[in-house]
Amino acid sequence: MIALRPEDGGYPAALRDLRPAPDPMWIDGDPAVLERPCVAVVGTRRMTPYGERVARELAAALARSGAVVVSGLAQGIDCAAHRSALAAGGASVAVLGEGITSFLANARGRRRVLAMELRARGALVSPYPPIVPAQGWMFAKRNALIAALSRAVVVAEAPIGSGALITAGDASRLGRPLFAVPGPLGARASEGTNALIASGVARACLRPDDVARAIGLTARSAAVSDPLLDALAAGPLDLDALARRLGLDRAALRPRLVTLVLSGAVVDEGDGRFARGAS
Amino acid sequence: MGAVARTLGCALWGLETALVTVEVDVANGLPHFAIVGLPDTAVQEARERVRAAIRNAGFEFPLRRVTVNLAPAERRKEGTGFDLPIALAILRATGQLTVDPDGLCLGELALDGALRPVRGAMPRVRRALQSGIARAYVPVENAGEAAALGAEAIAFRSLRDAVAHFEGVTRQAPVDVPPLAIAPTPIADLRDIVGQETPKRALEIAAAGAHNLLLVGPPGTGKTLLARALPSILPPLDPDEAVEASAVHSVAGLIDPDRPLLVARPFRAPHHTASHLALVGGGTPPRPGEVSLAHAGALFLDEFAEYQPQVLDTLREPLEEGSITISRAGGAATYPARFVLVAAMNPCPCGHAGDAGTECTCLPDAIERYRGRISGPVLDRIDLRVHVPRVAYEELRDERTREPSAVVRERVCAARERMRVRGRRTNAELSIADVKRHCRLEDSAEALLGDAMRLRRLSARGYHRVLRVARTAADLDRSERITGDHLATALLLRAAA
Repeated sequence: MIALRPEDGGYPAALRDLRPAPDPMWIDGDPAVLERPCVAVVGTRRMTPYGERVARELAAALARSGAVVVSGLAQGIDCAAHRSALAAGGASVAVLGEGITSFLANARGRRRVLAMELRARGALVSPYPPIVPAQGWMFAKRNALIAALSRAVVVAEAPIGSGALITAGDASRLGRPLFAVPGPLGARASEGTNALIASGVARACLRPDDVARAIGLTARSAAVSDPLLDALAAGPLDLDALARRLGLDRAALRPRLVTLVLSGAVVDEGDGRFARGAS
Repeated sequence: MGAVARTLGCALWGLETALVTVEVDVANGLPHFAIVGLPDTAVQEARERVRAAIRNAGFEFPLRRVTVNLAPAERRKEGTGFDLPIALAILRATGQLTVDPDGLCLGELALDGALRPVRGAMPRVRRALQSGIARAYVPVENAGEAAALGAEAIAFRSLRDAVAHFEGVTRQAPVDVPPLAIAPTPIADLRDIVGQETPKRALEIAAAGAHNLLLVGPPGTGKTLLARALPSILPPLDPDEAVEASAVHSVAGLIDPDRPLLVARPFRAPHHTASHLALVGGGTPPRPGEVSLAHAGALFLDEFAEYQPQVLDTLREPLEEGSITISRAGGAATYPARFVLVAAMNPCPCGHAGDAGTECTCLPDAIERYRGRISGPVLDRIDLRVHVPRVAYEELRDERTREPSAVVRERVCAARERMRVRGRRTNAELSIADVKRHCRLEDSAEALLGDAMRLRRLSARGYHRVLRVARTAADLDRSERITGDHLATALLLRAAA
């Protein structure tokens, strides 16, 4: 773990937009990833299957176009984005709202595994000294740091009152391009993102590679078009529901589904349901 | 003849049995009554019961030095089944009985000389039969168990009855072979379950190949109903399975004395607050738990994630070995535990993750913790995992005739017959060598399996388990070769594709 001060060589110039700039900034992992183009993908912890898919596809598209996906390693959208970026072969940076050592000491389960992977293939970043435990008020600084580090910020899914909207506010204050993914009308989980678009603060993100293009990266999306994948757009389905949706009989569907699962285009949820994969 | 008399009893550890010669010596000396040959507390207490029973039955208890030896003397003897052979041997040694009892004697004595039933009569009588002893003297309540196995069962109500019989005063005729138990009418029929095609197919595969099944779905979608429909499609018990399963029930004291032999496969559904002792058995002496009572049948664990994780982990041995060994300071008992596990759980704490009708209110970490309650090793032994969704209204109104359980059961029985011809009772029991020999894949299936292995979706254990399930899917289709669809079915059901 290293502590970068504003006068140090590797200190990300973008952070000077923050007043005051974090001094020092703690980094566990590879500090060089911060010099590559960073894009933040943020959103609610209470994600819906739709939000999860959006975050996954956005992060994978960004990773494939060479961007580093920045997020907050909170459960929900943040984790989905980190995971998908790594799975697509990209790098990812997690900005923590507490000391890095303290976070690692308390993280459990899959999030702990993810944190370890991020350390190896990206970085954990915190404005707080390593052993400072989390307090509610500390996350505002984290959110601002996410916005400042990034060339653009996308809100994947957020209800009214979500912390992701604070990051969105920071992004527009700092002059970072802000995107929001429109969600279904009437879905509480998308009211915040829809409002961002309606008020003109954020641009609507309509395709996974919109964001990469906006910051001048060439999007290289592996556009697979398959009615089976379309049927899974709204969320995971089980085999029977999928067969009904597509009007196929199950025997015809099974080998196709297996092939898609093996190719990674569809992922198995482990409970008999299938979701769209990131690639 | 001297003052030593011998009768025959039988000791029981779990389902393991050994014939025990009860030797009684009555010698001059100060009045004394000792039992040697590693008796446990219940056998030691036989002294008090036997003394009172002999006196109250109108006989005389010798005021001399009485020594009882249970031979072979090296293993601990448990339970109250030695009361009758001890009492008869004492009567014989003192000349109050003039004939040697010539068969297995079994029974607990009441203080007034009445005979009480004992647990585990069936395995003990079976041991006697295997040793060439065809006659068993047993309490009336245990007579059915003995007769059902083909023994010549002579039933007594009291010690007096027994002596009267041996002396030829009132001979008891052997008890008739009891009628078979009536198969309980299954609670649910597949015909009554709307939609749920994949879950029903998974249930059929589970019934045919004895593969374990996990049903995941929101509350109220019919997981429990599906599980309870399993007995309606399970094949009938084989005769030797029936004896084995009945013997476990006999040890647990759960036998209907009038119809002791089970005909339907057991279906056990313990509550999720069950302790590990209740589930796998235990105590001193070790009693069989639910996994053994479900032997040759099915064990249904509803609200799977609500069980204590340590309790669920105790399932690992029975799921892998088909038996459970309970070791205690006094020795170990092994019970059979070969069952189909059917587990049902909600997808998350609130129950609505993935439910189209209701929004889930759980945070992702909470869902992960909830699913993490089932450990990897246990989950790895469950071959079939299906989603049981809420059924759409149009489907509920669908009045087309659905397949009744009886038809599915015929397919299951036919598939089991194919498995029997191959030399195994079920495909779940196929050894790795068997899998190699009997699971011939069509090219499309071969390619699919190759892909799955290359992408490391399958462990070595998973590879064989997938092939066993695919074998069952093919057997249900009356196909010798495993097609791509059979393999796809197995891969998708294992969530391993």
